[in-house]
Amino acid sequence: MRALVIEDEAAVAQDVAQALSGAGFVVDIATEGEDAWYKGSVEDYDVAVLDLGLPRIDGLSVLKRWRGAQRTFPVLILSARNDWTEKVAGIEAGADDYLGKPFEMGELIARIRGLVRRAAGRASSTIEVGELVLDTHRMSATFAGRPIRLSQLEFRFLDYLAHQSGRAVSAGELAEHLYGADEPGDSNAIEALVVRLRRKIGPQVIETRRGFGYLLAGDGG
Amino acid sequence: MKPRSLRVRLLLSAAIAIFLALAAAWMAMTVLFERHIEHRIEADLIRDGLQLAAALSVGADGTPALEHEPGDSRFFEPASGLYWQVSTLQGALNSRSLWDQHLPEPKNATSLQWKSRTVEGPFNQQVLLVERYIRPERAGADVLVQLAHEQKSLHEAREEFGEELALFLAILWFILSAAEWVQVELGLRPLRHVRNEVETLKRNPRERMAAAHVAEIEPLTLAINELADAREKDLSRARRRAADLAHGLKTPLAALSAQSRRAREAGATDAADGLDHAIAAATSAIEGELARSRAAAIRAAPSGDTTIALPLIESLVGVVEKTEFGARLVFEVNIPEELRLPVAGEDLLEIAGALIENAARYARRRVRITGQAVEGGVLLVEDDGPGIESEKVAEALMRGGRLDEAGPGHGLGLAIAHDLVDATRGAITLLRSELGGLKVTVAWRAPELVTRGQES
Repeated sequence: MRALVIEDEAAVAQDVAQALSGAGFVVDIATEGEDAWYKGSVEDYDVAVLDLGLPRIDGLSVLKRWRGAQRTFPVLILSARNDWTEKVAGIEAGADDYLGKPFEMGELIARIRGLVRRAAGRASSTIEVGELVLDTHRMSATFAGRPIRLSQLEFRFLDYLAHQSGRAVSAGELAEHLYGADEPGDSNAIEALVVRLRRKIGPQVIETRRGFGYLLAGDGG
Repeated sequence: MKPRSLRVRLLLSAAIAIFLALAAAWMAMTVLFERHIEHRIEADLIRDGLQLAAALSVGADGTPALEHEPGDSRFFEPASGLYWQVSTLQGALNSRSLWDQHLPEPKNATSLQWKSRTVEGPFNQQVLLVERYIRPERAGADVLVQLAHEQKSLHEAREEFGEELALFLAILWFILSAAEWVQVELGLRPLRHVRNEVETLKRNPRERMAAAHVAEIEPLTLAINELADAREKDLSRARRRAADLAHGLKTPLAALSAQSRRAREAGATDAADGLDHAIAAATSAIEGELARSRAAAIRAAPSGDTTIALPLIESLVGVVEKTEFGARLVFEVNIPEELRLPVAGEDLLEIAGALIENAARYARRRVRITGQAVEGGVLLVEDDGPGIESEKVAEALMRGGRLDEAGPGHGLGLAIAHDLVDATRGAITLLRSELGGLKVTVAWRAPELVTRGQES
């Protein structure tokens, strides 16, 4: 597994690289934006740790260039600028996680592992149900060609329904799938999730079959 | 000492200038009036003189004789003020009004034209005298013809005229001064507008002076706007510097934390604990100071901005959904699309970000974010977590108190939000939510109604 660490402070870069090596990554280091952008554009990384305050090209611009060029590897922003304006800007530019400095190395490694696991688990395929298209690799969706931002939970909900070939799924079963069998079912949370998804995608996409549960419109049944 | 009021200065100087001009006019007009009357009298005397000359003859003894006297009754009344006298070397005739007096000896009198002068005359009267030599017969002797008019009545007329004119000019002075007052008021009105706008600018540094000003005031308003721009730039530069300082401190802290890790790996656990403790304290101090300086900046310069809440809250939810805590949760966002909250966008981001992240950390399944257009606006963040016991509420909101011992690097949560809400003139309350966990209510007061353009 390959990781790219972009950090202009040598001590921090070395420390992160060392910890990632210890966690089984092959690590490249870039200390300024242009080098980072070049490496990320030509090499295949499984994850990148990106500082925002960089010489030459700032971190946010590097990220935007990568995403603009369809470089989809997960990116964790590691920045001293820890306010929400920066976080929102970072996530909206295409980052997958955000960690403020100073940080605990254990937490950083855990988050990076999480990002890699999520990305690696996805086969590069799409599922189409009616006008809804789920991209299981990027965990994103489009409806009638319009991109829709989904949280992990929302994506898993739609993904589960999409795999049921038009069967109506009860709230209890959905809760069990989303939260695990150990946790008590919470139909309120599922209802809230449906409301939110209907608002994001459109009211017609998720149908309610009274007494049975939910299914995706245009999915056989 | 110069008066400090521009209005008083302008009015005083105008009143004085108008007074001086009118006083000069008064003097000039009375002099002109006197000269005009004098000319009229002189013309009358010459006319009478010509009548005398027409009736004049010289007797064989060389004394003057008249066929008839001029008819003006004043010539017959003694000391009436109007006199004539014709004289040769041999004798003289005069009007009865002269009685036993004589007109003065001639001076510069010629036979070519009438000469006039003012002299001390009969009966101790100041008189205007006209005189000329006339030769009634071609071969005869010259006769001196003199006529005089006393000047006392002339002076009286002048004084009377002067008094009436002075009264008229005083009224004129008053009217002109009033006109000047109106003019000054009109002239200063744009300045009053400027003053009102500067007041607004003082309350809200992001306001700018209106562009539509009279040409003379415009350079001033432009300069004020430039000053305001510079001040705002200074302010944001100061904020940036504070953020830069934090950046400058946090990266070395991260490096220090690397040292601590190495020390721990090398077996120096006590040293590493000490370092970690110091790093945590420094981080907390930096976060606290950043939050305080942000709150202070808002207090020092309340923006008066409003922000459409929904897209901003959705962006925040998008960020929190990516975090370890947020990924498991359903976020219900019940905010009307058009709802505006009376906070600048970046401040709302910090407030709502801290609240939503805090809720996400404790929630089990659900976080509900509700916006209401009550008074200035209300933002509710609820979760279905364990909630806060009522006796710990005060502690949770305490400024600078560290609530989130659970997760490092996440700032001061509710305390930060509390500080910022306070700075933006809002109030924060913690209650139990019907979802089971904490309900944080942030309510902003209605914005002041007296703002520019809305004055009633």
